[in-house]
Amino acid sequence: MKKSALILLLIFFSMLVHADEQPQPPLVVAHSAVTVEKLSKSQLRSIYLKRQVIWPNGDKIKVYMLPAKSLTHQQFSQTNLQMFPYQLEQTWQKLTFSGIGTPPVEIATAEQMLQLIQSTPGAIGYLPYVNEINDAKVIQIQP
Amino acid sequence: MQKLFKFNLKLLAKVVLALTLGQVNQVMAADDWHWHGFVAQGLMQAKDSNFVNNDGEVSAELTEFGLNSAWQLNPSFRLAGQLMYLDGGNRYQQGLRIDYLFLNWTAINTLDWQVDLYAGRYKNVHWLYSSTRDVAITRPMIVLPQSVYFDSFRDIAVGSDGVALQSTYSSSLGEIDFNWSVGATPTPREQSQRIISTMISGVTQQDFVHQFSSFFRPVGAKSQWGVSLLDSDFNYRRAMNDIFADGDFTVQRVMLNWRYSEENWELSSEMYQERVSVYGFYAPGVQRTQFGHGAYLMARYNLTASTTLYASYDYFYGNKDDKSGRLLPVQTGGLIADYFGYQRDTALSLNHNFSQNWRATLEYHWTVGTGRLGPNVVPDTMVNKSKYHQLWAVQLMYWF
Repeated sequence: MKKSALILLLIFFSMLVHADEQPQPPLVVAHSAVTVEKLSKSQLRSIYLKRQVIWPNGDKIKVYMLPAKSLTHQQFSQTNLQMFPYQLEQTWQKLTFSGIGTPPVEIATAEQMLQLIQSTPGAIGYLPYVNEINDAKVIQIQP
Repeated sequence: MQKLFKFNLKLLAKVVLALTLGQVNQVMAADDWHWHGFVAQGLMQAKDSNFVNNDGEVSAELTEFGLNSAWQLNPSFRLAGQLMYLDGGNRYQQGLRIDYLFLNWTAINTLDWQVDLYAGRYKNVHWLYSSTRDVAITRPMIVLPQSVYFDSFRDIAVGSDGVALQSTYSSSLGEIDFNWSVGATPTPREQSQRIISTMISGVTQQDFVHQFSSFFRPVGAKSQWGVSLLDSDFNYRRAMNDIFADGDFTVQRVMLNWRYSEENWELSSEMYQERVSVYGFYAPGVQRTQFGHGAYLMARYNLTASTTLYASYDYFYGNKDDKSGRLLPVQTGGLIADYFGYQRDTALSLNHNFSQNWRATLEYHWTVGTGRLGPNVVPDTMVNKSKYHQLWAVQLMYWF
């Protein structure tokens, strides 16, 4: 009995340790003039699948992405959009070749992504988690 | 071939009118104008059927070339089109065609609800692969399951001249799409011969095709569920000395679809029942209605980040009350064998991306029955003498 309790205790603590190791999801970041404070995952998906093309105030949404092979992109795809990267790729190809939309603009690095978001009205993108971002708005993503 | 470019002039006029009435009065920014394209060339052989050619030799008639462009005129209006060249042997009419050319008006665009209207030659978005079947790199396999994506119907099914609506609504339960369209597609004689019979000499016209579909993606689930409905009428007007009579055709389809995705694999399936009614055509006064069935299950497995394996099983029955086709020889005095009443196909396909813009695909099909080999109404019994037939294909593609 004592042995079972010990094993259960070990499992519990190992889960806590594991949870601590979970990387923070990428931050969704927009130009500082964007008035939206929070988005649901479904709304974020609409933006990244190019169904939603304007902000509520009428400004055009400029959507940026990191290279498909980057870890941040893969985390963003699965955690923030709840889509696997290959599904996202398929959907963008479908948009491109069906004339329905155009995929997000690919930016080589997170640093360049931040600079573009800071300087482009209506821009939205994502960055690896950091504690503070200057001159840009961090949008809260809700389930 | 000229008729492939024939548009509904009224719709085209409306597109031009919208443009000239000042909907677009701003200078195009470079990022509002996009060009994309692809080239695909392959080899293919179907020894014991007329799927590719009539002699069963290895064929290079697996050429696809497409160029598309889209202009985001302003946040609400968008103009898009795609010019396509196809050489698919017996599968398609060889030559250039416009797959789509439409004006898109984004009527409602809020964070939870989007509604888009399309006028012109719109794309069919009602089936899982209907909007991507025409582009080699967006198609999961070189030859899609023929029960649903019958190649002889390719040009009719890719899109139509008319109007369409697409809508997505997001709620706490999930996302739901509603799509509706009504229009018609030009049917040149060469294309009609691939569908109806090589012996026709009259004129075929699609009166209308009316479609509706809905897809639901529950919150947090990895699946999508959908339903699509189709209603279409065609007419055939005989020529002088024609062996066929004037005729009218009605096609109505109810289809269910489903998709489930995991990190490294995905399953998709579509299943339908289709009513086909023929009035006249074989002889004046003839009336014939039959219900066909079709379904496929397709599996995708990501072997590596750049290599994907697809496997599919597909079946089609021309008459659900005669799945073995035994009535066909009885009804035709032995001219049409029973295996023209069905088709069952098992296929494997391997895709490998060599770089970001290059892909090679290798594919093999094992097929029993000839029910999905064109022409469909009066089948080719001279070439399709074997109940069992196979197909292999290899294709290299580049896109930008």
